Amino acid sequence: MDPAYFFQQLVNGLTLGSLFALIAVGYTVVYGIIQLINFAHGEIFMVGAFGALGTWIILGRAEITAWWMLPVMLVGAVGVSVLTALLMERFAYRPLRRAPRLAPLITAIGISVFLQEFVRLFYGPIPNGLQRLVFGDDIPFEFPDAKAAPVFPAIEGVSGGSFVIGGVTLQYAAIFTVVALVLCWIGLYLFVNRTRVGRAMQATAQDPDTARLMGIDVDRIIMVAFAVGASLAAVAGIAHGLQYTNIEFRMGFLAGLKAFTAAVLGGIGNINGAVVGGLVLGLVEVMATAYIPGTFGGSAWKDVWAFALLILVLVFRPQGLLGARVVDRA
Amino acid sequence: MRLPQIVTDERRRRHGGTGWLVALVGAVVLVGAPYLPWAYGDEAMDDMTYLGGPSPTQFLGLALGAALLVCLLAARFLVPRLPAARRRWFAWHTGASAVATGALVFQAVVVVAVALELGGLVNVEYGGWIALAGALLAFAGTRLLVPERTATLGRVHSPAWLVILVIAAVMLGSLLLIAHALDEDDPGVFIALLVFVGAAVTLVLRIGLGGWFSSQTARFRPVLVMAAFLVAFAFPFTQDGSNANMSIATQVLIFAATALGLNIVVGLAGLLDLGYIAFLGAGAFVAAILSGSAFSAVGWNPPFIVTVLISGVVASIFGLIIGSPTLRVSGDYLAIVTLAFGEIFRLVMINLDGNDGPDLTNGSNGIPNIPDLNLFGFDFGEPHVMLGVEIPRFANYYFLLLVLVGLVIVVFANLNRSRIGRGWVAIREDEKAAEAMGVNVFGLKLFAFAGGAFLAGVAGSVKAHHDISVTPDQYVFLESAFLLAAVVLGGMGTILGVLVGATLLRLMPEKLRFFDEYRLLAFGLLLVVMMRFRPEGLIASRRRQLEFHEDDEELAAHTGEAPPGAGRAEPEGAR
Repeated sequence: MDPAYFFQQLVNGLTLGSLFALIAVGYTVVYGIIQLINFAHGEIFMVGAFGALGTWIILGRAEITAWWMLPVMLVGAVGVSVLTALLMERFAYRPLRRAPRLAPLITAIGISVFLQEFVRLFYGPIPNGLQRLVFGDDIPFEFPDAKAAPVFPAIEGVSGGSFVIGGVTLQYAAIFTVVALVLCWIGLYLFVNRTRVGRAMQATAQDPDTARLMGIDVDRIIMVAFAVGASLAAVAGIAHGLQYTNIEFRMGFLAGLKAFTAAVLGGIGNINGAVVGGLVLGLVEVMATAYIPGTFGGSAWKDVWAFALLILVLVFRPQGLLGARVVDRA
Repeated sequence: MRLPQIVTDERRRRHGGTGWLVALVGAVVLVGAPYLPWAYGDEAMDDMTYLGGPSPTQFLGLALGAALLVCLLAARFLVPRLPAARRRWFAWHTGASAVATGALVFQAVVVVAVALELGGLVNVEYGGWIALAGALLAFAGTRLLVPERTATLGRVHSPAWLVILVIAAVMLGSLLLIAHALDEDDPGVFIALLVFVGAAVTLVLRIGLGGWFSSQTARFRPVLVMAAFLVAFAFPFTQDGSNANMSIATQVLIFAATALGLNIVVGLAGLLDLGYIAFLGAGAFVAAILSGSAFSAVGWNPPFIVTVLISGVVASIFGLIIGSPTLRVSGDYLAIVTLAFGEIFRLVMINLDGNDGPDLTNGSNGIPNIPDLNLFGFDFGEPHVMLGVEIPRFANYYFLLLVLVGLVIVVFANLNRSRIGRGWVAIREDEKAAEAMGVNVFGLKLFAFAGGAFLAGVAGSVKAHHDISVTPDQYVFLESAFLLAAVVLGGMGTILGVLVGATLLRLMPEKLRFFDEYRLLAFGLLLVVMMRFRPEGLIASRRRQLEFHEDDEELAAHTGEAPPGAGRAEPEGAR
């Protein structure tokens, strides 16, 4: 076995896993507090990527690719994602909080389809049309059509570049993804454990009724949970754009499903579990692609193995690797 | 969460008379306005430009106005003259508000359709605006009427000949209506017709005739079912050998058969399956592989009867595989497991192309050139002449699918009423309690999955021949979501509801081609709105309705079953 090949796969797996982990946190945070599988969370990731692209088109005039555009795009992406998540919570999920379990799940499917189609149909036409109303035909910020996969801006020093250590290629975009995960993880840890709001989140997760009695505004905490998850998903959206150069309105479905797998793998409701689960899932997927011999190996089967892992985990260890609350609800 | 109440009972009692008068004016306007021109161009809908000669669509508006007028007049002048026992037969006020709401939606649809089809609101002529204003008046006025308690007509015993006559009339009417609606090419007219039917049905239900119909026809249930089947059977004879509508009808039937199968799993057993389309796909692929198509990897070509059974068995084996985790997984997790299974099925079908795996399904190209069915020398691909009417290819499949849907309905209805069905309901309501009562939870859950999958597999085997080709991308997650939506939209656990849901979901995109681009957007929104405002579906089973509106005491009082924890009723608001 070639060690360089193995380490290359390790790096690829960790990179992919970091992406899953960033999204998985969103599932876990929301689930931890209101036991809702926010099935539409994958679309928040997608919306974040498109938000970043839009920010770049407006503030970067679709040409600036210096490194400092990255934080600017980040702010835009987080803003769009958080806004979408909050609207979703307020108008779709909150009215159903006491409904039977089936209702929010079906709502989530509806939101998921709606957001995908909304981006597909209106990402270009709405901003371009509004500008035409103001500026006439010569519009300053031309938004691409989302029906084809638009190209994500290549940021200098991050996109495309790479260096090699001992036969292992490290892409800057991959390093960005992993570093982003580490920073987000640390930030989330500090937020949850050191701030008032974070502690209120923990209290609500343990016992919403008692938390309410202690003066915690549970509705606000739920909104915070959605916002936190959406922020990390937006970061993941940018990381995805930088790594794969194109973004697509469909990309949220598969990524969301895999991230959910990761969240369950780590133990849903457990933030550290989501990160660990994401990394493990990424490694498993990459390693399975690289090392399963014969016709069942290769990239054609990688999604099959990921979903098979999801089923196995849900069936045999629903509490996940790190263990959290066990789901037992009809 | 409830919407704020603008019109309170108190205000109703005080201003009911004014409301009646306003509504009466609205109704008169609604009856008169169709004689005025509604649009400036004759291309809009069905030529509504004449003064004094209403078009068919305008007649529909007139009918709504006339119905409102009858309701209002009857409530004021007829009811006081009746003997006390008969006064509560009809709920005239409730009916009036229903029909006024329908009229408002109808007129709004007309105005919007004219504006869209002719390019701008300026093309709506004064008659259209007057009708809309009349509908607004009627709507506002009827809000102030005091609604009756439930109508008592359902308790009246009617002679058998009358009931059977009504059944025949209803069935004949629906046959003509369906044939007429399918022939309608103008999307505006089609939607207006749909709104009109919705308004008419709501009126009939609200006014008390619905209660009468359901209670009286309960005595003649076989007659009703036979009549419905006869109507469905007669449908191809209204089509003059045209394939166009029949192909839509067959698609609706395939979809309905599958949705009914899903309804067993979701509606009866309460197990949310998000990968159900995989079972349809399994049946379709098995049938395609065994069809003798040149692209099939298997040479064996058994008769179709055998193929159907193999398709069903293979699908139900998949059902058992996917159902076995249900012992350990429940609720949301089960939904995700089934979703993952559905995705795995699709990916495996793509990969079994001889390149990434063994050759079985011809990969993403699928299996084309599946021959038409040939049962007992009856070639489904050729047109036949029956009773002097030409029966084209799709109509042949239509008859076969009709038998299939009938079979699924029989299975469904019998299971629902059997020990098994009661076991499912018990599991759905409380799994632990059911187990403690001796219900075989695991066995019944597995049976739900296997049985539902079998029906889908059988439907899939017909679908393969009907579609001529089978490809993996017909069986994506979105199709599972559509099936689930048909069940949810129509009403979980009901037969009629799912049939209506499936018909609407398949018929609408066919008739509203201009809307194609926004179809999925509207679909997503529909799911969200439906869950928010009417989670029990259009045609709800009573039990579901209570489940979703646990705190709604009004409904509980209405249905006569008290929801848990609703012992004390408010003195006024509890009607």
